[in-house]
Amino acid sequence: MARRKFSDQLTSMIKIRNLVFEYPTARALDGVNLDVAPGAITALVGPNGAGKTTLLRLMAALETPYAGCITIGGLDTRLEPRAVHQRLGYLPDFFGLYDGLSVRRCLIFAARAHGLSSGQVNKAVMDAAQNVGLAGRLDQSAGTLSRGLRQRLAIAQALVHRPRLLLLDEPAAGLDPQARREHSRLLLSLRDGGMTLVVSSHILAELEDYSDQMVIIDHGRVAGGSTFKGTQLRIALAAPDDRLKDFLAGQSGIEVFQADASGARVIWQGGVEGRAALLQALVRAGFAVSDFGEDRHALEELYFARIDRETEH
Amino acid sequence: MNPEFQRNLWLELAPARILLMAGFVFCVLAIFSAAPPALPGPGFAATALYYFLVVLWGTRNAALSVIVEIRERTWDFQKLNAIHPFAMMWGKLFGSTSFVWFGGILCLPFIIYPVLQSRGPSMAAAELAVLILQGVLAQSVSLLTSLNLIRRHHNNWRLDAFLCQVTGIIAAFAFGFRGLLSASPQNQAATFSWWDMALDPQSFQSVSLAIFTAWALGGCLRAMRLELRLSNGPFVWLAFLAFLALYEAGFESWLARAIPGADFARHAGVFRLAAAGISLASSAYGMAFLEPKDPVQFRWLILQIRSGRIARALLALDCWMLSFSATILCTLALAFAFWRDPQSIGGVSASALILPLLAALGFFTRDIGFFVLFRTWSRERGDFAAAGVLVVLYIVLPRIAGPAQSLLLPQLTAPLIAFSAAWAEAAALWAWTIVRIERRTG
Repeated sequence: MARRKFSDQLTSMIKIRNLVFEYPTARALDGVNLDVAPGAITALVGPNGAGKTTLLRLMAALETPYAGCITIGGLDTRLEPRAVHQRLGYLPDFFGLYDGLSVRRCLIFAARAHGLSSGQVNKAVMDAAQNVGLAGRLDQSAGTLSRGLRQRLAIAQALVHRPRLLLLDEPAAGLDPQARREHSRLLLSLRDGGMTLVVSSHILAELEDYSDQMVIIDHGRVAGGSTFKGTQLRIALAAPDDRLKDFLAGQSGIEVFQADASGARVIWQGGVEGRAALLQALVRAGFAVSDFGEDRHALEELYFARIDRETEH
Repeated sequence: MNPEFQRNLWLELAPARILLMAGFVFCVLAIFSAAPPALPGPGFAATALYYFLVVLWGTRNAALSVIVEIRERTWDFQKLNAIHPFAMMWGKLFGSTSFVWFGGILCLPFIIYPVLQSRGPSMAAAELAVLILQGVLAQSVSLLTSLNLIRRHHNNWRLDAFLCQVTGIIAAFAFGFRGLLSASPQNQAATFSWWDMALDPQSFQSVSLAIFTAWALGGCLRAMRLELRLSNGPFVWLAFLAFLALYEAGFESWLARAIPGADFARHAGVFRLAAAGISLASSAYGMAFLEPKDPVQFRWLILQIRSGRIARALLALDCWMLSFSATILCTLALAFAFWRDPQSIGGVSASALILPLLAALGFFTRDIGFFVLFRTWSRERGDFAAAGVLVVLYIVLPRIAGPAQSLLLPQLTAPLIAFSAAWAEAAALWAWTIVRIERRTG
């Protein structure tokens, strides 16, 4: 059988169909279907024990599905696990480093272990170290790094071979606010460089900064999701108006994910001028707009709305 | 250079450690060189030190090469690289033990030189080969055991490392100490019989050591492939079982000697089948203890069989399942041989042995069931609990059971009771096991 090549010329970098995974005591994932677009950052969110880590490990071909299938760049994780391994980077939630090695040797090993030739290794090591801000610490022992720097080194190891797909499980856990901001910048720069990222995290506010798509996992199933290609806007009315939902639905470039007579949360696809036009349109239509601006907590609101709905069901 | 090997060399062979090891070895040898003639000389010290470093310490390092990766949470990273399973296997095996090999190699001239002087270059070369093979066998068996143990997700890494060390050491010395080549000729049997061939024991042991070392390395490769999510298929393990059965069957005369009055010439085939069966059953017990016996794997196999995907299920069978099946086939062949040729063996009619033999098969089936059943209760301690139950069943209870022994052991005096009890126990245990496996689906 001819081996198919890994491809990023696909509509979905990750395609998951009817995925089932079991632990001896429980079914962890039950009929998961999911598509992850290339060149995007997808946030996996959900309560503890929902199945996020299991799903990431299955995507990384570290576990074998009980039923269903996952393709990564066109490669089936069950049939070609090693080909998948070589082409992605993965940072588990609890990771370790070779504390006895220097940062440089950790990265050299990671590069060589991912099949980079001797000629490519030095450049790859420098690029990865610079990407995560460790270029000045190459000769420091990994065992002496702070938690934040260890996190950076682990990410550098995962991306030293420039994978097309990076899977990160709780990558910002334990980082201070400054480190989190740098971490968000790093993820955005990787995405802008063409990388596809899947990030599992509990820190919804942080995911909001960089994610393009959110997938909610709950009780081993996809409980909901949304895309965030655009700005999240909050609209509040001084006087309730039942027309608001229909009015917004009729506007182009808007995805409404929550609306009632007194206000709405929407994702606005247009630019700043379009936003101004939208505000004008609302006022012109007679809505008593009391608040109109970027919503920093839209993801959190959406997450809790979906989880609450699941719980009610 | 193999990146995994290089990483291990970075960690193991730091210049300070090299100097420390060299200093230690030469100090020990210097002390024994200066000892009075009544005490052991440097040759003895070098041999003891070699075994201490390469076998005792080396088995620990080989086992920890994987166990520490799990403990330190670096194993997932290792699994996600592009290193070929073979390179990963030898990189770990020889990289993690490079430090002790360095010390062992320093000892070798002090062991080999006296042999070279007294028995010539060919014996010295053979001695050298045996010493190295013993080290490689011990370490590879230890690594193989650790690769099997980590699949069980056992959290007690110290106990796991100890078990690996023990198996490695047993493997190393299963073919004798270094003395197997250099012992004085008058103390050794001139020849011994294997498959009716008169063989030189030293050569046979050396060749056996080499062959089992090759199997152990092959086993490491297969176990590493599994860790790297590659499937193995059943054929290599089946080939190993065939080799093991044939190898052990060659010792039929040893088995015949244990039965007074047995007509060895007439019943050679029966003794060969019995010897093969014992080795297959041993492999089934060993692998049933070591392998994970994952209930999810059982559910998956049952699902495949119910869906008619029999071939897919057969290709995914665990080693213990294959050993178990091979033991059953071998035992049935032995029962058939008893039935075909009912002449007495050691004063007992062969036909009278059929029921006790089938009773033994029933008890064996029950025993393997214990390992699977207990695994559904505890991933951590299930195998040890099952092993404990077997010790009680076979060693403690028969001493206090009196006439009820037939319920626990195959008996010549009450074969029908033993047969019925064995299969009733096996059926009940497996039914319970299957119910537990299926019920646990969430």
